[in-house]
Amino acid sequence: MKLDYAQLLESNNLLQINGDETYWLCVTRTVQESKLFPVPAYMLMSYLNAFYRYPALLRKIEDHMSAEEVGDRARHMGAKANAIAMWGLPCFYLLGREWMINMGLLRPQDAAEDVAYILDFWKRFELSFRRNSGHLTAFEGGHRGQIHSEAQLQVFHADLYDCKVGDPLHQAAQAFVASASQYAFLIACESRISLHNHGPYNLGDDRQMIVRDFNDIAEYDFPWLDDVAEAVPYNNLTVTMATRGVNFNIMDDWGSFESDPEFKDENIVGVGLYTSGPLSDGFLPVGMGSREELTQTFLDLNDKVKDAMSRLWQKMAGWSRDQMLDAGALTYYAIIKDLAHIAGCYDPEDWIKIDHRAERFRPLLNDEYSRDALGEICVGAAPSHQINEYMMMMHNDAPTRIYSPIPYSILLDGDYAPTVGGVEPGITYLDEKKDVYRTTEGTLSIDEYNARVRKFQPELHKEENRLFCETSVKYRYDTPEADALYKLYQKHSRNLVGKGAGLRRDEVEALRQKSNRG
Amino acid sequence: MTKLFLDTDKYGDESPSAVVAAFHGSLHEIVRQRLEESGAEWKDFVLGDATTLITKKDFETVDRTLVDAGHRYDWSAGISQKERPDAYKPADGTSDADLATFCFVHPDAPLANPDAEGRELRGVGDNVVRYKENTTGIARYIRSTDRVLKWLTEGVPENTIAVIDDSGGTLTAPILEQFKGVICAGGTVRSHLGILTREYGIPCLMNAKVNGIMEGDTVTIESTARAKTAEDYQGQTKREVTGNVWRIAKREE
Repeated sequence: MKLDYAQLLESNNLLQINGDETYWLCVTRTVQESKLFPVPAYMLMSYLNAFYRYPALLRKIEDHMSAEEVGDRARHMGAKANAIAMWGLPCFYLLGREWMINMGLLRPQDAAEDVAYILDFWKRFELSFRRNSGHLTAFEGGHRGQIHSEAQLQVFHADLYDCKVGDPLHQAAQAFVASASQYAFLIACESRISLHNHGPYNLGDDRQMIVRDFNDIAEYDFPWLDDVAEAVPYNNLTVTMATRGVNFNIMDDWGSFESDPEFKDENIVGVGLYTSGPLSDGFLPVGMGSREELTQTFLDLNDKVKDAMSRLWQKMAGWSRDQMLDAGALTYYAIIKDLAHIAGCYDPEDWIKIDHRAERFRPLLNDEYSRDALGEICVGAAPSHQINEYMMMMHNDAPTRIYSPIPYSILLDGDYAPTVGGVEPGITYLDEKKDVYRTTEGTLSIDEYNARVRKFQPELHKEENRLFCETSVKYRYDTPEADALYKLYQKHSRNLVGKGAGLRRDEVEALRQKSNRG
Repeated sequence: MTKLFLDTDKYGDESPSAVVAAFHGSLHEIVRQRLEESGAEWKDFVLGDATTLITKKDFETVDRTLVDAGHRYDWSAGISQKERPDAYKPADGTSDADLATFCFVHPDAPLANPDAEGRELRGVGDNVVRYKENTTGIARYIRSTDRVLKWLTEGVPENTIAVIDDSGGTLTAPILEQFKGVICAGGTVRSHLGILTREYGIPCLMNAKVNGIMEGDTVTIESTARAKTAEDYQGQTKREVTGNVWRIAKREE
């Protein structure tokens, strides 16, 4: 890969975009600490693992499927190939790079080809994943995460069941969402990686819909859920929530939101529930046959996740520090592992091991050094961040930048090491992963799962459907092509099956209300 | 002496953290030595020989040098202090015995004598969600897995307002739902504990600056206060947004 000036200009621009967003996301929280997990320590370890392994693993994914096709497929599932995962892709890699620069172990020009490739992969994924809003990041879109097409949103909208505070469905949904959110934090070792929100989507009449995804909640990639989560029947669950009386004015790339006034459970006026994955060809309703069925489904799932959470907490509380560090580091590092599942090339050796090159650094990772080093590299306080005094950074006016650009002088002297190379052997202090993966087609071995994914040809991704976009619909909604596309989205819908492409939002609402009235 | 690229950094100052500065200073010396020993040019060394010549043992030496010099690390995860008590500061305020005398002492906590209603101001925090009523209960510290495990088995005592210095959501995961309220000495309303208390509808003050709240005291948190926003944290609203923490009664000895 020969780098040229245009590539470096673009790489440095993408790097800066990520740096500005990362600063904002970090500074509106504090450095994360936990009495249970050594969080900053595992975060730093994950960044090193990302630095050493992402370049080779993304190239492996693209041997099977391009970044932009992975992005298109990811839009049609609530898997961990979403905004927070794709924020993590460049940022974990770049934070590892920045930390190494400050340790004196890397110059800004070293691994230049990897940096350019990582950012290019990220850009192509984001452009396809977010093509309905046209942005690269939620930050760029004014802190909105509007991912879906009208066809998908109409199905989510039409099939929402009305609910209000105090009724059985509202109580069951609220209880499940709270328990599952907490379970998700525990699965992800204190990080928010197993929990994601996107939206808001405007339903009219002072209502907005947000979509919450819970990921990796069953026996799947993480060895710590083996046996603990065997009763959890879905690995990915998506809860659609209609709210009234709140405006979600921030929905960031970590899936955090703010609203005016602040969101409370009493604002929830409608819910739905779905599952999805690389084999599902879109979202599959869960317990959506009737209001009573959905209520009971939420109650059953709540019992299951609470039981799994209790068992998981006790398992984790008995871990050694090295085990805690590994679990957290692998949760972070493997934030993008669903890209490999979507491409049908997932290998636990790639994703659930600490590369021996990263493992060397473990003795540095005491709580205090990790807290301080992490704080410095995330908020621009490390020596590498400092730039000339005339400059004023976005957000804080300081002469700093979060990620060091690749110097253009490498085009003059060629003085750089191009790449870290391939994946090297890894280790873990955790139990080996059982060969059990909960999918939408049941529990499979990894070889069987990969084989089925590679063979699977989703209808939504046939070229005639994939390229029939929102602009195509705007002017050609009355064509057979548009109708066929919408019917694909509608095939599992309680209220829209077979309705086609002609409906507007108010007509969808009318159908929904009619159905809710019974 | 072999020069590193860092030696000619025009703008970069030393790390603001003493531990980071010490570690990185030691690492820079190791890199210099290994580069010199390898005899290679930097671009061939950095992603080649460096990965085998700079070993885990080198990183252990960096850590051991600081500990041997008498430094004791701050700890955040209980497991860190438990496994290496010689390398970390003591774990005060984590056992039941310690909690008889332990309390958070924040230097900036506002304090005031009891008002007409007998409420003694002992601090403030950032309110996560505004509720219609303030929340009163018994303050109980949670700073260790031992206490969580005990309450997981026995149930959380009724009326507990958990006093926590961990803004995460995992330490208290299996028992959080049973709290009446939460006072958290860290984080922001956007931290995980803030998110989860909102989901459960549990009144919560984050980033609390409190002083003198003892285990067993009866306290009220001002859950009717305005909720703090991202704009407030960034200083854009130019307003102080906090909720008070009052002590209503000291614990019965």
